[in-house]
Amino acid sequence: MHTNPNIPDPDGLYAALIRAHEGLSEAQSAELNARLIFLLANQVGDQRALLDCVTAARKPFGKGA
Amino acid sequence: MGAAGRPASSGGYELPVYPFVPRPELSGGQSKRYPIVIVGGGLSGLTLGCDLACRGIDSVLLDEDDTIGVRGASSRGIVYAQKTLEIFARLGTYDRVKEKGVTWSVGKTLAGADIVYSFNLQLESASEQPPFINLQQFYVEWFLVDRIRALGRCDLRWKNRVTRVEASRDCVTVEVATPAGPYALEADWLVDATGVNSAIREGFGLETHTARLADRWCITDVRFKEKFPTERWTWVEAPFNENRGVWQHLMGDDVWRLDYQMASDCDPEYVSRRDVAEARLRAHLGSREFELVWVGPYAYRDHLLDEFRHGRVFFVGDAAHVVSPFGARGGNSGIQDAHNLAWKLALVLKRQAPEALLDSYNAERQPAARQNLEVTSRTSRFLAPQSAAERILRRAVIGLAREHPFARPLVNSGRLSVANPYPESPTVTGAGWSVQNVPITLPGGARGSLVELARQVGTAFIGILYQPTRGHELAEFARIEATGLPFRFFVCGPGGIGDPEGKLANVLKAEPDTFALIRPDLYLGALVRNASAAQAEGALRRALCLPQV
Repeated sequence: MHTNPNIPDPDGLYAALIRAHEGLSEAQSAELNARLIFLLANQVGDQRALLDCVTAARKPFGKGA
Repeated sequence: MGAAGRPASSGGYELPVYPFVPRPELSGGQSKRYPIVIVGGGLSGLTLGCDLACRGIDSVLLDEDDTIGVRGASSRGIVYAQKTLEIFARLGTYDRVKEKGVTWSVGKTLAGADIVYSFNLQLESASEQPPFINLQQFYVEWFLVDRIRALGRCDLRWKNRVTRVEASRDCVTVEVATPAGPYALEADWLVDATGVNSAIREGFGLETHTARLADRWCITDVRFKEKFPTERWTWVEAPFNENRGVWQHLMGDDVWRLDYQMASDCDPEYVSRRDVAEARLRAHLGSREFELVWVGPYAYRDHLLDEFRHGRVFFVGDAAHVVSPFGARGGNSGIQDAHNLAWKLALVLKRQAPEALLDSYNAERQPAARQNLEVTSRTSRFLAPQSAAERILRRAVIGLAREHPFARPLVNSGRLSVANPYPESPTVTGAGWSVQNVPITLPGGARGSLVELARQVGTAFIGILYQPTRGHELAEFARIEATGLPFRFFVCGPGGIGDPEGKLANVLKAEPDTFALIRPDLYLGALVRNASAAQAEGALRRALCLPQV
């Protein structure tokens, strides 16, 4: 899992994400995020890195079951 | 053929009835001792009795009923996977299963009208058997009973209900109730194949880690004239079933199994009412004419024993493990349990292997069951999301799968039964996978298959030295046979067996001078590259749990 900066244009990406969510209900936003997860996961294509990312994302909420 | 007595009618089928025959024990006197007693005449029990008989080993099989199938004959296994079919080829029931059943290899998963995932397992198959044959479970059991009756050696005792089992260090005592009164018998080894509610297992107080799942389904078996493609179709979202799941599978006698996912809070009585079932079928089938064969609601549970061996008692099939039905990993794994255990019991009883070999049954089949439980639990979770977050993830996957190939493997409507690989263990070295029944030429040049070779050698390991380049060592390999160990040696190459299509090399991952040790259950016990005869013998002795020399 990369933890050092690797996104070429961070502000541009953040802005694009905000735009993508504009005008959506909470449910639609949740679905957009889920679609994004799978699309990005397929770009990464490295199971170890993906599972590390899942663990890192869960971190603030404590360990899962 | 073979069946006796009046036919039993169930679900529109006529099943054979087998007579109760009083055994000598009933007329009083000493209880007799038998090497192997199998309790339960379902898929795993019958497979074991038949497999042992093929290996020349006597057994007694006790079944409380007098027919095959269960009350409500249809609601059981229908999909028999390749490894199982290869086992049937070994046992001699495959031809009847193939003739009566429906051969298929293509599966399609749909969401609404869109195909969101598909597979054709024939493309990657090297076996003489197809990826799958669908057939009502009672036919499979029927053919096994007929085969057992033809082979002899397995004493099938119908209407013999086990009431008590007591196991000591060197003996198992079994008390049996029959229409002619009770009797007792003794066994060296007892195999519990009595299924999910095993009273034998409960008698030992063994923890099963049972979980009941909230998902509800309703099976509807239907006969109709119109032909559908012989493919497995599953809808993860079917518009004609309120967007819940639907399964569509063909079986023998032109009967289709249509399985409908119900709301988890549904009333099982209501959803299986004839008029309600017919309305559901109408929504699915439109104006096609159909005849309702059987309707039955079900919920599923799973459980898994920690240990499949308890001293002199072995647990096989549903008595040891139960998983949800998606993926046909119930019946198939029960049959494969039995096949794993049969040759080990045979070698121990013939005093060709120590009793320690029997521990490998648990070491191999318990992890296989654990793997099946994990795989089927994941499918259950995809088919019946348990939270808002899970519903969102699934919706995203199905939506993406409609547009993009990458998302299609994420759609999980069941990962079909495979021959589970076995972990490294004292008996498995650098191998552990099932060897498909590939075509070979037999010694003498006739075309045959690996299963035919296995039938010829009996209960022995098959050692294959693949295309040897060092001729002078061949005599040393051949000398391993002379040690009296259950082992037959073959060269693959000139003068030996042949690999005309190159499939044997593929399934063994063999190169020239590779030694492959194939077990009697056609699993690969060891693979040694650039092997010497000493290494080959060492691998054989390990696989038999014998000390090295």
